[in-house]
Amino acid sequence: MSILKTAYEKDLYPEIADAGDSEFQRDCVEIAATKLARGEIDRRGFLGALTAIGALTVPGIGGTAKAAADELVIVNWGGPAVEAYQKAFGAPFTEASGIKVVVDGTGPLASKIRAMVESGAVTWDVCDTGAATTLVLQKADVIQPIDYSVVDKSKVVLDYAYEYGVANYLFSYILAYNKAKMDKVPTSWADFWDTASFPGMRTLRKQPNGMLEAAMFAAGKSADEIYPIDFDLVTEKFKEIRDDTIVWSSGSQSQELFRTGEVVMGNIWHTRANLLNQDMAGDVVWTWNEGIVTAGMWNVPKGNPAGTKAAMDFIASAQDPADQVKLFLIMGNGPANPAAAALVPEDRRFADPGQPDNWAKQIKQDARWYKASSGKGDLTNDAYARELYIDVMSG
Amino acid sequence: MTDRRVIFGRAIALGLAWTVLGFLVLPMAIVIPVSFTDQYYLSLPKENLSFEHYLAFFEKEIWIDATLDSLIIAVAATTAAVTLGTLCAIGCWRLASGAAEAVRILMLLPIIVPVIVQALAIYRFWIDLGLIDTYLGAIIAHTLIAIPYVMITVSSSLTNLDPRIEQAACNLGASTAQTVRIVILPSIMPGVLSGALFAFTISFDEIVMMLFITSRAVYTLPKRIWNGIQDHLDPTIAAVATMLMLLTLLLLLIELWARRRKQARMSAVVEEE
Amino acid sequence: MTGALRLKYWLLIAPALAAMLVFYVFPLVQVLWLSVTEPYPGLQNYERLLERRALHRIWWTTLQICVMTTVITVALGYIVALAMTLVGEAQRTAMMFCVLLTLWLSVLVRAFAWMMLLRGEGVVNDGLITMGLIEEPLRLLYNRFAVIIGMVHFMLPLAVLPIYSNMTGIEGRLVSAARSLGASPWQSFRLVFLPLSKPGLIAASILVFVFSLGFFITPALLGGGKVVMISEYIRVSFEETLRWGEATMLSTVLLFSVLLSLGLVARVVDLRQVFGAR
Repeated sequence: MSILKTAYEKDLYPEIADAGDSEFQRDCVEIAATKLARGEIDRRGFLGALTAIGALTVPGIGGTAKAAADELVIVNWGGPAVEAYQKAFGAPFTEASGIKVVVDGTGPLASKIRAMVESGAVTWDVCDTGAATTLVLQKADVIQPIDYSVVDKSKVVLDYAYEYGVANYLFSYILAYNKAKMDKVPTSWADFWDTASFPGMRTLRKQPNGMLEAAMFAAGKSADEIYPIDFDLVTEKFKEIRDDTIVWSSGSQSQELFRTGEVVMGNIWHTRANLLNQDMAGDVVWTWNEGIVTAGMWNVPKGNPAGTKAAMDFIASAQDPADQVKLFLIMGNGPANPAAAALVPEDRRFADPGQPDNWAKQIKQDARWYKASSGKGDLTNDAYARELYIDVMSG
Repeated sequence: MTDRRVIFGRAIALGLAWTVLGFLVLPMAIVIPVSFTDQYYLSLPKENLSFEHYLAFFEKEIWIDATLDSLIIAVAATTAAVTLGTLCAIGCWRLASGAAEAVRILMLLPIIVPVIVQALAIYRFWIDLGLIDTYLGAIIAHTLIAIPYVMITVSSSLTNLDPRIEQAACNLGASTAQTVRIVILPSIMPGVLSGALFAFTISFDEIVMMLFITSRAVYTLPKRIWNGIQDHLDPTIAAVATMLMLLTLLLLLIELWARRRKQARMSAVVEEE
Repeated sequence: MTGALRLKYWLLIAPALAAMLVFYVFPLVQVLWLSVTEPYPGLQNYERLLERRALHRIWWTTLQICVMTTVITVALGYIVALAMTLVGEAQRTAMMFCVLLTLWLSVLVRAFAWMMLLRGEGVVNDGLITMGLIEEPLRLLYNRFAVIIGMVHFMLPLAVLPIYSNMTGIEGRLVSAARSLGASPWQSFRLVFLPLSKPGLIAASILVFVFSLGFFITPALLGGGKVVMISEYIRVSFEETLRWGEATMLSTVLLFSVLLSLGLVARVVDLRQVFGAR
């Protein structure tokens, strides 16, 4: 079967499943679109916010269009404010470099990137993926190393300047709770697991990513003992709590469970907790304590049409802290440039995962662990964890 | 004859049966009052009845677009399924051979095969054909799963048709096409109509297949409801559900009417003989 | 009939047959094929079926839920079908109407209605709290209980129809004869009517069981992601973990379980009549 004619290339490369980080980006676009629709932000704000991750589609730019050398194609997860974003995002970079920016919202699935590179028909220059996906693509040998003589390592939060990918924003799995429905305030995953002292339903994600770490904390492990995840231990922990748990499969669903009062606590994305906080008059709050932070990343496919230099220049320009803060103010994605922390308005700092105070309370998710072999057949830790998680949660 | 025990037993059976039927119908009825709620969240009406959630349905593009998508696909799939299914049923009926019987059983497959298995199979094949997230892909898929229902209703109409009619038409010099069009089709019209109603309902309500073979370009009403239920439960869904119930009721009444006509026609034939 | 005429009628069959073979049967065969060739040729996918504890659990959960659903559905369906044989034309039409209306109603609408009833802030809990019967809402939704209720509700019409169709074929005179021979109403029911209605019961049981096996929507919505039946696991295998070998292997096993069950039922009752009853 031909690789090129398939619509969903991910099916051809089961071994390079997206590491689950793409879902977060799609969720961000959804949040921004909702806000725009409700009139909570204006179009200008929307544009500015998306600057840092580039989430726009230009109609007519499909996966097959060949990008010319004088333009740069950024691939993201699409969104409704198409032409507007093009103006906001393209303009500054075009002004500085003379290179036109085109944003394609088809979604940079890992499998698509691989199919494109292997077929020699690369049309994308810079892709918005995640830490784990970066490692997957690196292993598949289809992306270029980041040129750190152009991209500034000091403008990236420690450790998220990978050899083949660099962070463009941060997001966290945190413990959110509805304080209006609780007598006491939970402050740790151990509290989350303590159904006697903190009665009520909880919600965990349908995938184990971000949940395993919480279970390790709940089992009494300290921040530096989280990895490697002890499968037997977390299995026991999930068994303890599964009867009091509903699972969420999308960001909006996690919000919905709080909104309709089905749950009082949850391990959800901080962007969604932030929205809940606004929507429910401050009833829903969260703690950064034992949060699990991870990053969205820029990747450059091998043989990208605009050439390595243009792509690296673009990534460097997207490190601008002011743009990253705009993104944060509207969608909640944490700026990846540490210099941005000081630019965040005082009253919004509580919602920024990268603020030094918040950062210190969290652990960094270890993408490398997820992609390592589990020793169980040919399964990676990620694949084995998914199987185990379904088993234990439905037991 | 009026044994007390009989009367007692019958009363218990009837009471239980209506309880079970209540379990069947009443929970569904809850959707109706909720759709008229004056609140913005799912609840029974508090102060007064409100039509705002129906208005919301007609004002929001996402719902209207989804309804149109569903209609386009259902109408096209129904047309295709009724055409293919009716011709096939007539052929099988007239041939009445072992091979024709095998075809008839083969055509029932989509009812029998678990829905997830056929969704997986078709999804996989549609990738190769480039039919993912296209109207054509959705229409073909729905045509396939609707054909068995057309086959069943049309075949059941045909069993009441005397094959000699068809032979008589042949003897009078009618071609096969003429025979089918002028003689057979009019006599089995109620069965074809039932089949069309089934096919339309099957396609209009189908969700599992759509979850796999469509993504953004094709967005049917059931998919919109599915996402609504998971991501944003609001009374608009109750309004949609109520309208779907009315539609179902309407289609069922038409179907029962068609069935009655079929029976009337049968008894008329019997009387003539 | 002449050969030429036969050919003409085969031409009527051809379009539907071709569509079914190309777009339906071929993809199904491809699934079976993939189960022994993905990711490499061999039976390793089937070995997983024996080895992996997670898979055992999923099958066990599926079987438990299907058996419970079948038992409850067939018992309730029998009562309705029996009552339909006892009442007059008007009431029978009303009963049949309830059954058919539910049968035709979208599975999503039905699951949605149950969610509204069973939610923590749903109609049932609100009602019980208002009446002062409970203080805290009961956990009615997002568990096995909710899934079974939803499935029984879905399957009930499918059970009533074959049972009723079988009962209408039972000679009323046999029951009367038993009565005139001195049997009590209960005895005549238990010793004469019940055994005669057995084919309908068996057909309904297997039908309900078979349809339950492949159920997808109701467990997904009412189970809150925690009641994972085989269909949901197949979805995870090919959508999330992208293991086509495992997904197709499970699909193959599921498909053959269904065909085997139907093969059994075909020995007892005329299947076409059962499906035709719809």
